[in-house]
Amino acid sequence: MEHSDQTKVAILGAGRGGRALLDLLHQIPSIEIVGIADRDPAAPGLQRAHALHIPVTANVPDLIGNHGVQLIMDVTGNPEMEAYLKAHKPPTADILSGSASRLLWKLIQHESKLEAELLQAEKLAGIGSFAAGIAHDINNPLQLILGLAESLAEERDLAAVHEQALDIVEAVKRTSAICRDLTRYSRRASPHEDVSVSINAKLDEALKIARYASSFHDIEMLKQYQPGAAVKGNPDELLHVFVNLITNAVHAMEQAGGTLTLETRVLGGQVDIRISDTGCGIAPEKIPEIFEPFFTTKAPGKGTGLGLYNVNTIVSKMHGQITVESKVDQGSTFTLTFPHAQPNQEGCL
Amino acid sequence: MSDFKSGFFVGGEACNGRVLVVDDEPDIRKVVKMTLQKAGYDVLEAENGEKAIETINSGENRLMLDVMICDIRMPKVNGAEAIAYFRSNYPHVPLIVLTGFPDTDMATSFLRQGVVDYLVKPVEGEKLRSAVARAMEQRELARL
Repeated sequence: MEHSDQTKVAILGAGRGGRALLDLLHQIPSIEIVGIADRDPAAPGLQRAHALHIPVTANVPDLIGNHGVQLIMDVTGNPEMEAYLKAHKPPTADILSGSASRLLWKLIQHESKLEAELLQAEKLAGIGSFAAGIAHDINNPLQLILGLAESLAEERDLAAVHEQALDIVEAVKRTSAICRDLTRYSRRASPHEDVSVSINAKLDEALKIARYASSFHDIEMLKQYQPGAAVKGNPDELLHVFVNLITNAVHAMEQAGGTLTLETRVLGGQVDIRISDTGCGIAPEKIPEIFEPFFTTKAPGKGTGLGLYNVNTIVSKMHGQITVESKVDQGSTFTLTFPHAQPNQEGCL
Repeated sequence: MSDFKSGFFVGGEACNGRVLVVDDEPDIRKVVKMTLQKAGYDVLEAENGEKAIETINSGENRLMLDVMICDIRMPKVNGAEAIAYFRSNYPHVPLIVLTGFPDTDMATSFLRQGVVDYLVKPVEGEKLRSAVARAMEQRELARL
């Protein structure tokens, strides 16, 4: 991973600013973070650094003096630190501190807010297309409940009363599960720390949501799951990625039906997730554009053009990769590759 | 004739007609069947448009089927396709749409195609029975 042309960066201060810097900088291949320092061992940025295998220290002189540091980013907000750095920095290192580092911190915050807004906007726009699916899935059990209740009002046979009452209870449970699934999906992705997410369970959850968005009639489902496939990431965001890719796959087969294949594989410390359809495919000249924002092949009002852009953003944030293979009229396969994580003992999140 | 609705249910034991219920949800077929059987109808079931077409084309149903109640969102042959088939091949069989998703444009288009009623789930038993009774009346007129 080490490149000679990498810029060596030291971060001073591991509060929220330091943590945000870590999150941003460690995604950039041309930057090597040589270490992060804070006096407070419980600072949030230090926890994150541990998780990312970035050296942590309380020794500022050593960090800035002995590691060939080219850029010192001071987000301590401490004027004494600023003065100290001015006096003691190695001659080859630049310093970013004071108002410049505050400005940078604000820009980072702004960017991550924009990213979250885009994600939420796209999710909410998509929920409009759920109306038909939700209406179908709520009104069907309601019809059953109403019919059974009407029948109960006239029923004299106690055994039949008992049976019908239980059917009503089951139907109510099914209906409330719909609301639970959807509220879980529509809420803003919780900003919690990355956790181990069971991929197979997350794919199944995404399938349930995607069924509201599009009709799965005439679509054959094929699941090839390897047990124990897990990745580290934000479970809400990962759910969003899967819903998006599954919905696209189903839309691609809207005209003629086809087969939707979900595949997971753990191999050599990596998890591969494959979502394939046998639908209309993507024209070769369009493939380079599909991850661009506001690119869509769907009719006006049908797609936001943000789906795959957001998918790509989330996947890169999780240190993953996404690739696509597609042939017109034969179908597309999206492959996601992530570093494998230990499956969570508590099951899926 | 104005009193036909109440007259229609007298007894409720004799066969008042044969109804085909087309819905992919077994629960819906079960509850619609229950509701209509209590009103003395003979009820057949089909789980999608394809099965519905098969049913009407088999044996005595070709002649004996009086009314079809049809969902819209279904696998294989969906409701809209089944309705188009029934309208052109069995124009004398009155159709009732029973859907979970109210859609004004769709309702207008179905009513234009001669669908007797467009009902939205959940529908009360009484309303369903009176829609079927109206359809049966139309069926009777077609026989004359």
